[in-house]
Amino acid sequence: MRRLRFLALLAAIQWGAAAASAQDSIKIGADLPMSGPNAEYGELFGAAANLAVEHANADKMLSKKLSIQFEDSQATPQQGVVAMNKLVNVEKVPFVLSAFTGVSKAIAPVGDRAKVVSVNGGGIGPDLAELGEYFWNVIPLVNLEIRVMAPYLVQERGFKKIALIYVDDPAGEAIQKELKENVPKAGGQMVAELQVPRNAQQFTSIAAKVREASPDLVFIASFGAQQAQIVKQLRDNGVTQQLASYSAFSSPTVTQLPEAKGALFPTQSVNWQAAGMSERVAKDWKAKTGKEPNAYVANYYNAVMVFVHLAQALEKSGQPITGENLLKERKANGSFDLVGGKMEFLPNGSVSMPIQINEIDGGAGKMVKGGTMAK
Amino acid sequence: MLLLQLLINGLQLGAIYALTAVGFSLIFGATKIFHVAHGAAFTIAAYLFWWTNAVLGLSWLLAAALAVAAAVAFGLCMERCVYRPIQRHEGAFFTVFIAAFGVQIIVQNLIGTVFGRGFVSVTTPLSHSIQVLPGLFVAPVAALAIVVAVIGFSALTNYLSRTHTGMAMRALSENPDLIRVFGLDPGRVAQYAFAIGSAIVVPGAIFTAMTAGLNPAVGAHVMLISLAATIVGGIGSLRGAAYGGLLLGLAENLALWRLDPQWSEAVTFVVLFLFIIFRPAGFFGRPHAAK
Amino acid sequence: MWAYIINLAVLISINAILAITLNFILGYAGIFSIAHALFFGVGAYTATFFAMKFAAGFLSATAAGMALAALISLALALPALRVRGEYFVAASLGLQMLAVTVFTEWKSVTGGIGGLTNIPPARLFGFAVTQPEHFLLLSLACLALIILVIRALVRSSFGRSLKAIRDDETAAWAYGKNVAVIKTTAVVVSSALAAVAGSLYAFYLSFINVESFVLDTSIQVMAMVIIGGTATLLGPVIGSVLILLLPAGLSYLPYLPVTEIGSIQQIIYGGAMVLLMIYRPGGLWGFQDTPPSRKGGAT
Repeated sequence: MRRLRFLALLAAIQWGAAAASAQDSIKIGADLPMSGPNAEYGELFGAAANLAVEHANADKMLSKKLSIQFEDSQATPQQGVVAMNKLVNVEKVPFVLSAFTGVSKAIAPVGDRAKVVSVNGGGIGPDLAELGEYFWNVIPLVNLEIRVMAPYLVQERGFKKIALIYVDDPAGEAIQKELKENVPKAGGQMVAELQVPRNAQQFTSIAAKVREASPDLVFIASFGAQQAQIVKQLRDNGVTQQLASYSAFSSPTVTQLPEAKGALFPTQSVNWQAAGMSERVAKDWKAKTGKEPNAYVANYYNAVMVFVHLAQALEKSGQPITGENLLKERKANGSFDLVGGKMEFLPNGSVSMPIQINEIDGGAGKMVKGGTMAK
Repeated sequence: MLLLQLLINGLQLGAIYALTAVGFSLIFGATKIFHVAHGAAFTIAAYLFWWTNAVLGLSWLLAAALAVAAAVAFGLCMERCVYRPIQRHEGAFFTVFIAAFGVQIIVQNLIGTVFGRGFVSVTTPLSHSIQVLPGLFVAPVAALAIVVAVIGFSALTNYLSRTHTGMAMRALSENPDLIRVFGLDPGRVAQYAFAIGSAIVVPGAIFTAMTAGLNPAVGAHVMLISLAATIVGGIGSLRGAAYGGLLLGLAENLALWRLDPQWSEAVTFVVLFLFIIFRPAGFFGRPHAAK
Repeated sequence: MWAYIINLAVLISINAILAITLNFILGYAGIFSIAHALFFGVGAYTATFFAMKFAAGFLSATAAGMALAALISLALALPALRVRGEYFVAASLGLQMLAVTVFTEWKSVTGGIGGLTNIPPARLFGFAVTQPEHFLLLSLACLALIILVIRALVRSSFGRSLKAIRDDETAAWAYGKNVAVIKTTAVVVSSALAAVAGSLYAFYLSFINVESFVLDTSIQVMAMVIIGGTATLLGPVIGSVLILLLPAGLSYLPYLPVTEIGSIQQIIYGGAMVLLMIYRPGGLWGFQDTPPSRKGGAT
């Protein structure tokens, strides 16, 4: 009996909260890792998204205040689905921010069925372009990154023999596939492909196997804390070769790691000095966090801004802000002025942007090759 | 050369597993308590060392001492506040096991909340390996781990066979009442067992902090392997636990010679499963231990 | 809002099935398995495989899952016959960890960490169960059926033999009970029925991956059984309701940081396990039909 009353109380509270919030703000959702080993990403992406919300509200871009409902995906597909269900069924948001390839693949069918738009700004698996009409990406997917990295590393820098350490999950496997295809095409050779479990912490023996393969360069395809551990233990155990990775190396855990100095990694081209939006975001971000912004900040800022622009257009034409309408509006007008320049959506909901290559230098990284479009 | 390198890596890892397994086995052997929260002692010691040394900047000696104090305090607290009240009621294996499990869950999450769930490590020049032979890299910390394990183990064996409390600990598992006849208090002896058993994980915890790094789940992982090591080595035998830990550390690394890394952990558990089916007493355990 | 409650109710009923079936071997037979998530997984993957490859309906997909789980459970029954207590726990641990590796690596069948997406909806007698309300009816029906089956078994002479074995195996054996057959049957029944939960789960979420079938899941199911009450029929159900309502309830407390809810939930049920073991080992709902007092342990 007590439990029934408790449940009823819960229901009443939620009903009240939902009713109250429906009137006075426009809500979008975010299915990001707020806890667990990848919480640093959730914090980063969430802060970037919140900055966009601040700007949108300050500039009064929408008729009501914009706010984000954050739910915890813990960066695991299962939790991501549970959180997505809550956002779609209870909060009834028309638009959700997503991250991580595995999570995105899992929540896409949920959003698809409910006609809710999901936007990814952090995951990079090429499969993310095939997740249906309601799944969009504002980050160039890793196939574009590798198509720029492979020729650069092999041809321009002369690293012909490449050893790969990749994590056992959709993101890692996507990168392995792309490298296997593009490195030989550029004239190089994959001398080792070592797969590591997601929760592995010991890499001394992996280092031994890397040394055995005598590569010119070691490519690391992992994320979060693990990639920093791999770098540190490789350097600790006699691997002196050049390191490289994909955009995940822009995470502060790696850029601040002394052992990572000199590593090469791609990101989408963002000129933070460009007047207007980019400059404003860089300035406000620095003021808030004391750090320089990186590509992830741009992506999640942009993701929210895409919503704001689309919603603005819908409000102007008197249409309700639903997922279906957002999709229609994007198809009609899929080009936006955002941080990093003009972003154009391809028909499959992903974007193609110039990729730049950076080198870790103890600060935020220095660009060593300017923006190139992937061929 | 790869094989030799994997062997050395296996020894280093095995030393850490051996130390933790010996602690667990000591506690179990003396008190018959299946202290699954042993991994929590490891986590607590490791994080305390990291926090006092890397964050607060205290000397490593002081940090290590604090880590030992924390681990011992934890072990004693468990004995006094959790296990003793349970044993007063009925003390079934089941009850003790679940309670220990509950504690381990609490500690893991508390540490995650307080220190964060990401990976942290202690940077020290000791983790940087030196090329001993062409293609063979050994880190000073690895050599240290093996040396400490050997010293620790022989010190412990001496203590158990030479001192009164040590002998009492061995007697406790056989016949608690006889202890009282000799004027010793079983409760007291149990406390010693927990104290020493918990303290002995600290070197392993410190080395892990310096090499692989920490996250709140690290204790649970080490605990699982130590559990496997204790059974494979033989419950009731400290020597068995030590060898079991070494064996599993070696197996985990040598498996990499031929298998993919994902399977190396599976190898440990297949070994465990086979032992339980075919030789539950393990290498050195007493054969009647199964039923 | 209703959608949310229905969603929660479906998850609770699926977990209740897991808890009840685990209780059958843990509470009534004294077999402490932490490999239960493995059979949950086998049921889920098998049902998905049959649904996606052969367009199987709910009943045949579930039956296939049950059959495979029953077969695999023989691997768990084997150590159950030879060892008890901490040894058996360790063996079930080994099996669980091995299963997780297989689930992660056998990508062609399980999809690895990426999992299997777009699982077709359950089809029952030609009717596709797509509405959450209908699915709730399906899962509650399965739960009710399983409760009846377990209840019948527990009250039969089989159930009495099981309890006799739990309380004193040697005595039961001396009494002429065929201990091996009884224990194996119990493990097989428990695992096969757990597979039903797996099948429901796969059809409901349309997505499964290895992360739902790891050691932590086995431990969570065990927590439901312990906290709710072992060796009772209603206990595991209550346990699953409580544990699943926890995160939902916690997320509505405004002053709790979202990042810590997962941890706080675990701390609460960890703490509940400890306190219950000290003060009320029978669980919240349990009466004194509790596991035996064996002072000490295996030897």
